Parts: sequence; C-alpha cells; structure tokens
Amino acid sequence: MKLFVFKSKDEFIGIESDYVHRIIDDSKVTQVPLTPEPYTGLLYHRGELFDVINMQLLLGYQADGSAEPNRIIILKWLDKKLAVIPDEITGMIWIDDEAESKNEYYHENHKIRLIRPDYIWKKLSELSYGPHKI
Amino acid sequence: MGKTSIRIKLITYFLILLLVIIVVIETVKRITGDFYLAQGLSVALAMGIGTIFGIIFSRSLTLRLNKLSNAAREISDGNLTRDIEVISEDEIRDLEEIFSLMVKHLRTLLLDMKSVSIKIHETNSNLTKLAKKLLESSNDIDVTAKSIAKSSEDQTEIVRNTTIKLESGIKAMDELVNQSSHTISKVDEAIKKTQKGETNARETLSHLETVLKEMGEYSQPIIKLPDKVEKIKVVTNVMEAIAQKTDLLSLNASIEATRAGESGKGFAIVAEEIRNMAENSKQSSQAITRLVEDILTDNKFLKEFLVKNQRDLDKGREIIRGIVQTFGDMLYGVKEIFSEIKSMEESTIRQAKELRSFSDKFKELASFASQNYKSTQKTTIVTRNQKVEVKKIVSAIRLLDRLSEKMIETQQLFTLPELPKESKENPLEENQI
Repeated sequence: MKLFVFKSKDEFIGIESDYVHRIIDDSKVTQVPLTPEPYTGLLYHRGELFDVINMQLLLGYQADGSAEPNRIIILKWLDKKLAVIPDEITGMIWIDDEAESKNEYYHENHKIRLIRPDYIWKKLSELSYGPHKI
Repeated sequence: MGKTSIRIKLITYFLILLLVIIVVIETVKRITGDFYLAQGLSVALAMGIGTIFGIIFSRSLTLRLNKLSNAAREISDGNLTRDIEVISEDEIRDLEEIFSLMVKHLRTLLLDMKSVSIKIHETNSNLTKLAKKLLESSNDIDVTAKSIAKSSEDQTEIVRNTTIKLESGIKAMDELVNQSSHTISKVDEAIKKTQKGETNARETLSHLETVLKEMGEYSQPIIKLPDKVEKIKVVTNVMEAIAQKTDLLSLNASIEATRAGESGKGFAIVAEEIRNMAENSKQSSQAITRLVEDILTDNKFLKEFLVKNQRDLDKGREIIRGIVQTFGDMLYGVKEIFSEIKSMEESTIRQAKELRSFSDKFKELASFASQNYKSTQKTTIVTRNQKVEVKKIVSAIRLLDRLSEKMIETQQLFTLPELPKESKENPLEENQI
C-alpha cells in the first residue's frame, strides 16, 4: 500500500494515496464566515469547489504560519472531496498492507500518524461554529 | 745853613777877642797915648772877656752834654718820648743828631716790635683758630675717613658679593647661550623634521588621493555587483519555481502512478526520482539563493564598509590635509620660534657680554673700593699724624705767643709816644688756646 505523507507542526500525517486526488499550488482560497477556525475557506479548482482545512489547527496546534498555503492537497473518496493545507509535503512511501488497520506507522525512525479523510470531516464537525473569524 | 765846628767857633771867638783887644789898645792908646796902659787894659780885658767867653762856652757845652746825658738816662729808664733839641751847628749837634736818630730808630724798633708782637699774636690767634679748625677738620676727616673706610669695606664686600653673583649670572648666561645654541640646533632639526613631515604628509595625501581614486574605480564592480546578483536571484527564483513545479508535478505524477496500480510502479519510481531531482534542484537553488543572499549581505556590508572606508578615507584625507596645514603652521611657527630664539640668543650673548663688561667694571670698582679703603686707612693715619703735627704747631704757637708776650713786656719797659690808632689795646687777652 502506498501512503501519502505530509507534515503538520512536528507530526507526520499519513493518508492512503488512493484518497489523494491532486496537489495544487497558488490557489486562491475564499474565506467563509462563521466557520470553525481550521476551516480556511473554499477553493475553486477546475470547476469544482473544495472545503479547505488547515491541518495544523485541526490537530489542535496553534497557528504559527508555517503551513504552506501555496500547496493544497485535494482529497477525493467516494463522492466526497476535501482540501487540506499541510505544513510540508513529505512524499509517497510504501507500507505493508497490514499496517493499514493501524493508527501509527514507523518509517525511518519517524512516527507517522495514519488518518482517513472521514476523520478530518468528523474532527471538523466536532468543532463549534462561531464568530471567531470574519 | 752850614755847620760850624767848635774849633772854628773857638778860633772865631779868639779872633774877635783879639780884634777887641786891638781895638781897645788902639782906642786907649789914642785916648791916653799910653801904650802900656793900653796893653795892660787890653790884657785885662782879654782875660776878662776870655774868662767870660770861656765860662759861657763851657757852660753851653756842659748844658748840652747834660741834656744828652739826661736824655740817655731817661732812655735807659725806658722813656723814649723825649725828643733831643738840636740847636747848634757844631760837633755836639752831630752827637745830638746821632743820639736823636738812635732814639728814633729805637722807638721805631720798639714800635715795630710791638706791631710785630701784635701781629704775631694776631697771627697766633688766627693760627690757633686755624689749628682748631684743622684739628676739627682732622677729626671730621678722621671720622669721615673711618666712615668711608667702613663704607669702602662694606662696598668691597658688596662689590665682591655682587661680582660673585655677576659671575654666577655670567655663568648662567653662558649656560643659557649654550642652551640657546642647543635649542637652536634642536629647532633647526625640528624645522627639518617638520619639513620632512610636511613632505611626507603631502606624499601621503597624494598616495591617499590615488588610493581613493583607485578605490573608487575598484569599488565600481562591487557597487554594480548587487544588480548582477539580483539577476542571479531572479534566475534562482525561476529555478526554484521550476523546481517547485517539478516537485508538484512529480508528486501528482506519483499519485497518478499509484492510481495506475502495478503498471504505474515504474512511472512512480521515475516520478519519485524527478521529485528528488526537483528537490535537489530546489535545495540547490535555495543554496544559491542563500549564497546570493550571503553575497548580497556581504556586498551590503562591503558597500557599507566601502562607504565607511570612503568616509574614513575622506576624513583621513581631511585629517592629512589638516596635518599638512598643521605642518605648514608648525613650520611657520617653528621658523618664528627659530627666529625668536636666534634673536634671544643674540640678546643673551649681548647681555652676557654686557654683564661681563659690567663684572669687569665691578672688579675695577672693587679694586677702587679696596684702594679707597687703603687710602682712607692712610688718610686716617695721616690725619692722626696731622693731629699730632697740629698739636706740635699749637705748642709752637703757644711758644711763639709766650715769646710775643715777652716782646711786648720788653716793649712795655719803654715809654713810647702815643701809638697809632689801628693798634689794639691788649691783644694778648684774646684767643687763648
């Protein structure tokens, strides 16, 4: 199985490469009011709208400006789609298939946290909406 | 009237008598005619007349001789007032005249003696006064001489001390002259060194101007370097952008290759390699960017350094110009000092010369003072001797005075006619020493 790995803050996050649709850059993200803080806005790419999530904030870290806004990972699975902003894209690694069921995977002495796109939706839905950003 | 001697007188008397006898004889003879009577009468007459004549003649002689004798006696008693009456024209008259002349001479002599005594006394008196004055003067001279001697001694001491001080002053002056000469040589050396310093400063300024010019030329590439580096930066930015695009492309290629399954594995490897290459390229361009940034920073620092250097060099140039100016001023000042010291040296030499001449004069003065001292010592001795001599003179005057007193006493033994009015009554009572 191939794992797409990116970094948020000091944490390596791994998503199965099948969910990764494309990586784009220099895209304009339109902010949406009254949305949770990790929700960065909406992205229009090639006729489609994507919800853009800042992974650093979603994972509960304070924003430090290290996230790469010019690199956005577009995820698509089933009929769902999502865009996330990583701090840094590490690349693709091959992992054992058995590791798919696990939450963590160690690669070259680095711990990689395995997540699914649904987790992102779930985590986002747990967050409250409010006037914390306009 | 001619003189008639006693002999002629006697002869005349005899002849007259003879004539009378003859006349009587002739008369008697005529009257009486008696010759013998006439002769007897004439003899008796002649004898009577002769006796009468004899008595008269002898009496007149005796009387005159007695007069002379009385006069001589009175003279021997000291009475010179009496005048000898000269009546006859005979030999007694000569005696009387001689006697009268003698009395006259004696009177004159006594008068002269008296006058001389008075004059001696007066002279003695004056001499005594003079001796007194001389004694007083001698005392004064002695005191003055002592004072002069003391002053001369003090003067000699002062002059000696002054001479020593002058010698010391001359020595100091000589040292000053030597010092001035040394200073002049030093100042001369300073002038040469200042001139050399000025020349060096001018040369340094010239070198600095050249360095500044060359620095300006050399710094042009450094100044232009940021433009070129900016171009490199642009190129590296482009390269980095290309690397990012390539990275993105390789990532998407990897995603696509994964989606292709087993058949896409090879492509995935290629994409991964391309990504690695893009990453390397990115890192290289980042390294270049960093280098460029470093170069720019260094260049900025270098430019700042150059500007600072330029400023410092400008300051240095200004300082060196100031130094050149200062050297010029120093040279002017040192030359003025040289001139001043030279004139000071001349003045000092002149002063030393004058001081030496002054010292010589002082030595002469010391010699004079010493001589003066000796002279005053001699004067003191002489005045002492003079005092002794004056005392001797006084003794002599007293002796003379006593002699004159004796003379007057002797003269007073004689009675003289009244003295002339100018002579003093009793001059000896005055001016007793």
